[in-house]
Amino acid sequence: MSPNQILQGVRILAFTTGYAGPYAGRLLASYGAEVIKIESKKGGLDTFRHYGQHKDIDAAPRFIECNLGVRSLAVNLKHPTGARLIRELAGKSDAVLQNFRPRVLDKLGLGDDELRKSNPKLVIVKLPGFGSEGPKSNYGTWGFNLTAFSGITYLWNHPEQDRPIGSQGVYPDHLGFVMGPTLLVAALLNSRRSGKGVTIDLAQIESTAAVLGTTYLETSVNGDDPQPKGNYYEAAAPHGCYRCKGEDRWCVVSVRNDDEWRAFCRAIGRDELLKEARFADLSARLDHRVELDRIVEDWTQARDAEEVMHHLQGAGVPAGVVQTGADLLKDPQLRHRNYFSPFADSLIGPFEIPRSGFMFRGATEDPLRLPNRLGSDNESILMDILGYDRATIDSWRNEEVLT
Amino acid sequence: MGRMPNTPTLQYFSTPMTNSEPTSLLSGYRVLDLSSSMGAFCGKMLRDLGMDVIKLEPPGGDLARWEPPFAKDRKNGEGSLRFAYLNAGKRSVTLDITQEFGRKAFLELLGRSDVVLESFEPGYLEAHDLGYHDLIEKQKKLILVSVSGFGQEGPYAHYKTPDIVGNAMGGLLYISGDPAMKPCNPPETQSYYYASLFACYGVMLALWQRETRGIGAWIDTSIQASMALHEHVAFNYSAEGRVMKRAGSQHQHNAPANLFQCKNGWIALFVTQNHWPLLLRIWNDHDPALDDPKWINSNLRRQHADYINAQVTTFTSRFLKEELAELFQKNGIPGLPVNSPSDFMKDPHILARGFFGTVRHPILGTFLQPGNCFMVDGARGGPMPAPLLGQHNDEILRAELGLSMDEAPS
Repeated sequence: MSPNQILQGVRILAFTTGYAGPYAGRLLASYGAEVIKIESKKGGLDTFRHYGQHKDIDAAPRFIECNLGVRSLAVNLKHPTGARLIRELAGKSDAVLQNFRPRVLDKLGLGDDELRKSNPKLVIVKLPGFGSEGPKSNYGTWGFNLTAFSGITYLWNHPEQDRPIGSQGVYPDHLGFVMGPTLLVAALLNSRRSGKGVTIDLAQIESTAAVLGTTYLETSVNGDDPQPKGNYYEAAAPHGCYRCKGEDRWCVVSVRNDDEWRAFCRAIGRDELLKEARFADLSARLDHRVELDRIVEDWTQARDAEEVMHHLQGAGVPAGVVQTGADLLKDPQLRHRNYFSPFADSLIGPFEIPRSGFMFRGATEDPLRLPNRLGSDNESILMDILGYDRATIDSWRNEEVLT
Repeated sequence: MGRMPNTPTLQYFSTPMTNSEPTSLLSGYRVLDLSSSMGAFCGKMLRDLGMDVIKLEPPGGDLARWEPPFAKDRKNGEGSLRFAYLNAGKRSVTLDITQEFGRKAFLELLGRSDVVLESFEPGYLEAHDLGYHDLIEKQKKLILVSVSGFGQEGPYAHYKTPDIVGNAMGGLLYISGDPAMKPCNPPETQSYYYASLFACYGVMLALWQRETRGIGAWIDTSIQASMALHEHVAFNYSAEGRVMKRAGSQHQHNAPANLFQCKNGWIALFVTQNHWPLLLRIWNDHDPALDDPKWINSNLRRQHADYINAQVTTFTSRFLKEELAELFQKNGIPGLPVNSPSDFMKDPHILARGFFGTVRHPILGTFLQPGNCFMVDGARGGPMPAPLLGQHNDEILRAELGLSMDEAPS
């Protein structure tokens, strides 16, 4: 069986917008879940449909990227009939995934209790920025400012700089969109045996803080106030990012112990360094890391980054090209893993996209699927799942329930 | 950047919603954790989900016990704070699985376990006749989850992967940092964390498959492949032919979407077209030129980011970062302060949610540690201490398996 069918038979209602929530849905759909994304032209469209100002709301590249494989139900939640249909669907579903601000769904009559009324096994997973409860739970958050709030931005910098840098991106979204599906399937496994669905509150600020746990211990155990270290690592020298031949080309190198140091010196043809007292052991090399960095860069900058990596790794020294997006697409290792799922054609033309961080060994993966156009699954969902006839469905169109 | 004074931590301990035990969502499952720091966070997540996670350490201890940072004056096998965090709540058994006694005990335990987590160099377990196909002889429905730099097979499968190599080869490093400087590695070991998260999701899928179809699986997690999902780096190039580059803190599609100077530090602002009019409203004395409706367009503001950012700084620099964040949030603008880690640990919201709880560790003492990063029905599983090396040898090897410890090499 293809891993892309593992969750076949699991139905998930997704109230998601932006990056983390939709991508969490995509990662569930990629493994076979039927993910029904619920939106409405009446004030409830995924914000990524407008990203990049494409006229066709189904053709924003960001939207497509984050919503692969999902079905689409367009229903106006502010209409009493629309909200009722969602409650009925919840009765026929296994889980709800949502990243709205706290209490938005409650106000529409779609709180946890109402959704679970006819289905006590329903799992509900929420990914609010600051969590469902607490003094700042109504704060507006993005991955960008959650990174800042957690302490990651403060630390993600070269040492001794006059301003923080952090990241141009939205690091926390990536954490939320893997942890969300993980918790959702864990809760499904739980409700399968307990007969009772739980509500999971995954505050994205906390899933972000979870990857800074060691740093918080430096504060709480040692009373330290950790500062940015950049590419410095206190257990390896040389350790860092070194300029290579070409414009903005770099290779990282990390020498962690005496064996790797010997291998490194031989690999760059500098055996004489092995005799130098200032580089005799790791602690000496750490003390003289500025000189070491110069020695490494003298060697790397005359060479292609790829050559540096292959040559050093071949000698047993950790090294890696600082790869760009273009490099990733032609990376032989990723290609070996059949990492990219190709789309020969789509509303945005052909493209390839990463599948996942893991694969099931011995299994063949199916191609991923595009998202369905807004509302294109209305009829089949309402007829096949809820049993309504076409005349009733048409009448809801006129009453602006299905829009 | 404002440095926070060192603060004794126990005084702001408050955990109204925190239990002393992890959640029981997946209690009853057992994991044998052979991994080192690459996969340790996967084991921690499985523990947080309620599984019994037994760390099987070689006689000298997991190498991660010797990885920094360390507790002050404890640069030894029980002083690593990285180890303490990544192995919280696990049990520890010392076993040399390459020797007869250890192998026997391992296979005994395997018969009573559901998941094996490992991060050896690909091929290591096979070389000791303990590969997937050997293990399923003993445990037919086993879920083996492997975490390695590049995956179990392929041209780079044997390339060594410290964290910085994972970040480099996965594409995150290239876009990180000030464009005038070298690419800048993120704090801690983010590529290991991220691969561990994927590994954990893989375990959930494999468990679901096992419960519904009765079969096991071998999950092959790659650090590089995990990182290459970040920030649309691969997709942007494939779909739009665009190579993302370092841009400091400046977001690629929006402005003001950057860090802005305040009186006592910095604030992170991300202003979309919906927020732009709200920003102008609370900023009474802004330059009237900004009222031109053309500036509603986020792309245009991004094209003129230098101008926009300089203007916005004249406003933000009048405030304390905390007070400005509150003003912004009250007015519907998502601004948040750039916190130091200790700022974060003292934030009233984080305290009220009971994110940190107290653990008592026989060597490291009593201190605050993050509990579970999720709540189940409003309750949070609290943090637990990491095990000492071999702390649970007796209760697992002798009491549970009935092995005579006389056979164990000392």
